[in-house]
Amino acid sequence: MVELVIRIVGSPGDGVISSGDILTLATARSERYVSTYRSFPTEIRGVDQSLYQLRISSEKILTPADDVDVLIAYNERFLRDNISNLKSGGVLIFDSSENNSKFEEYENVTKYFVPIKDLAEKFAAERTKNMVALGILLGLIPNLDIREQIKSDIQKKYETKGEEIIENNIKAFEIAYDWARQNLPQAAFLENLVIEKSGKKVVMSGCEAMALGSLVAGCKFYAGYPITPATEIMEMLAKELPRLGGNVIQCEDEIAAITATLGASFSGVKAMTATSGPGLSLMSETIGLASMAELPVVIADVQRGGPSTGLPTKTEQSDLNLAIYGTHGDTPKIVLAPINVEDSFYQTIKAFNYAEKYQVPVIILSDVSLGERRECIDEFDINDIQVVNRLKPEKLENQKPFSRYTKTYTGISPITSPGQEGGAYIATGLEHAEDSAPSSKPHIHVSMTEKRFKKLETAQEEFLEARKYGHDDARFGIISWGSTSGPVLEAIDTAEKQGYKIQALYPRIVYPFPTKWINDFLHNKDILLIVERNYCGQFANTIVYKCTCMNKNIQIHNLMKYNGEPFTTKEISDKIDQIIKGQYLKFTTRQ
Amino acid sequence: MSVKTAENYRSATKPTWCKDCGDYKVLDSLTAAMAELQIEPHSAVFTSGVGCASRLPFYMNTYGFHTVHGRALPAAIGIKVANRERTVISVGGDGDAFSIGGNHFIHASRKNPDITYIVMDNEIYGLTKGQNSPTSHEDLLTKINPYEVIEDRINPVLMALSFNTSFIARGFSEDQDQLKDMIVKGIQHKGFSFIHVLSPCTQYNKKVTYETIRQRIKQLPKNHETANRIISMEYAMTHEPLYMGIFYDISRPTLLDKLDHIRELSMDEIGNPSEYELSDVIKQFE
Repeated sequence: MVELVIRIVGSPGDGVISSGDILTLATARSERYVSTYRSFPTEIRGVDQSLYQLRISSEKILTPADDVDVLIAYNERFLRDNISNLKSGGVLIFDSSENNSKFEEYENVTKYFVPIKDLAEKFAAERTKNMVALGILLGLIPNLDIREQIKSDIQKKYETKGEEIIENNIKAFEIAYDWARQNLPQAAFLENLVIEKSGKKVVMSGCEAMALGSLVAGCKFYAGYPITPATEIMEMLAKELPRLGGNVIQCEDEIAAITATLGASFSGVKAMTATSGPGLSLMSETIGLASMAELPVVIADVQRGGPSTGLPTKTEQSDLNLAIYGTHGDTPKIVLAPINVEDSFYQTIKAFNYAEKYQVPVIILSDVSLGERRECIDEFDINDIQVVNRLKPEKLENQKPFSRYTKTYTGISPITSPGQEGGAYIATGLEHAEDSAPSSKPHIHVSMTEKRFKKLETAQEEFLEARKYGHDDARFGIISWGSTSGPVLEAIDTAEKQGYKIQALYPRIVYPFPTKWINDFLHNKDILLIVERNYCGQFANTIVYKCTCMNKNIQIHNLMKYNGEPFTTKEISDKIDQIIKGQYLKFTTRQ
Repeated sequence: MSVKTAENYRSATKPTWCKDCGDYKVLDSLTAAMAELQIEPHSAVFTSGVGCASRLPFYMNTYGFHTVHGRALPAAIGIKVANRERTVISVGGDGDAFSIGGNHFIHASRKNPDITYIVMDNEIYGLTKGQNSPTSHEDLLTKINPYEVIEDRINPVLMALSFNTSFIARGFSEDQDQLKDMIVKGIQHKGFSFIHVLSPCTQYNKKVTYETIRQRIKQLPKNHETANRIISMEYAMTHEPLYMGIFYDISRPTLLDKLDHIRELSMDEIGNPSEYELSDVIKQFE
């Protein structure tokens, strides 16, 4: 695997995010794998840094990587904040327009002091300095031949801003490239770097992948309320759904959004809403209604730091308890946790399939770091993707009322939609008998609760086993969920190079709780490490509570992170190291 | 298709309402209105929230969505957008509509969906056995307001006028013919129609009875200009007398009109709209 990791840092307004996006799109278009990480302050123009990290690879990758080969910094403060992530032998490009520091203390890196801002003024306009930086970067990596793609992506990115801005940006980029070729000394490893192409792919963010997944699954209705970071899903659907025959409406709050979505589903149409933590809290009551009235609905939750307003632009995996237990009453639902952008696409399609088939609410747990990062999805054929529709009654008799909640072996009852003659029924949040008549009789509540949960039992039979990674005979196991799984798997690769055998389990269906898979996984493990991004160990607690394998003498370790940032691979490797060394010490003392 | 009578719209379920509840008469006016319009039962959808009045969908043989407290309108909007041929009617009480669901009333008025909203106002929470509602009179003492009532009551018709709800009427459950006509006109109205119905609770609100209502109400003048919002507001301002009739009736684009227009605009951007499909969306990311 040949790869290159680039990080750009600057203040908001330096154009860090735009140039990162353009570089990402161009690279993916050139048929190479990319994975990105973006971070920007909560305030639109705050004092914090904007950061864009881009990993380019000849093979499929799991994370945007920890350490970088190239660091581009627009000011000294952010250079100092990020230099520790620059690999030994890496390349630093610093905007020296207003700062002559030579940073002698940083050794073993190749430094380029380039007056980026001044060059931008000279080549085109000051505002194009991010494109000058891109030109210089590519001037140093001549074999990464993506200049044509960059130009077309500049065109696309600034389409709405007018010809002059497009021309200036392209001009700045091109002149900077030539200028770098003529004036800058070569950095050998960049000059000779060849990252092979690996076939056609699409590139998009995790949020866009969920929006696209919903379209492929046949979603025709979306209602939403603006919330960071889920709005990107609504933006894409607002643009695309109308011309694909669907509708998007903006609601007054999340309660209206989920209720309208449920109304559309009751009407016979596949429907979705998306939100983040605070919105999911507000939706809880209606999610219970969906469960009780047995209506399919998909809710995407792009988790952010909580509780309350929390950290709107920072990432966390702390909505798990809310997603699983957040509604009053015994509430069957399904909760999915995609691990990367490609998985976000496929899990969203599955969410619709499960919702339709089992007539339950399905919550997809993404998060800020996953929702916003851009990654590749291997080329696919829409026709190969299985799409499931809800069970319709075989025949309807007009004479007698339709029995909507008829008990069946699977728990799934045929469902009608308004307009169907002979199919009229009342969907209700009240406990009800098979004919949907409200009832508070004890035996009705017992049998209907069991009927609703029966659907989850049926569903579990079709769920594929949780994904595993590493050696089956490893005695050291790691369990993770959602976007934390990427760095976990990389840490396992690292450990293997050091001679340690570790196996990971990362269920994408987190509710119904994957008790059986976890028990199977743990039967030969002596050490278990559970990794997640929250303070309380929300997944870990349920594992300990639910899994019978806990009775055996297994050593459990937790690694929790809750500072608003995603895990780095190194943090997990360090924990593995610590555990293994601890074991070793224990072993030696016993000797 | 056979001719339908009012009875043809009723289900076999017997209402759980108390004896002499005003809602029985609203139910009768409603089924009479549907018979007049000869709406196919399976083509109609009722949505409701929670409360005595919100039980009404169970007494119809149409489709119905009995949601959670206060959410009749957003559910109705989702239904109408996704299944546009249906006649969609929302029902509920004053607490459901103006307290817990108050926000949705504002925004339904803004969206102007082709939905009829019948609010049965008894100025009390009845299902929970008598607490002050947002329309309760200021001197109505209940077990949760045993000494004095803190809040002013709201004026639903005046409120609707301020939101520019495109059809606004007030009826009395006892005046069944007038109420039936209002419901017919409300259903026929293209856009969001709001019908405020005085429908007494004989069990928990002894201050608002058929008799006190009879004394309070007065008909709007026959020549009332229903397109004039200011004059309608003047009539809506008074609690005594309380004017009855159609206050306001204007025509403006409905939610579906707007969504259709958005669809046209979204097509303008692309070369050949008839051939636009999923693969064209995916191409944007290649």
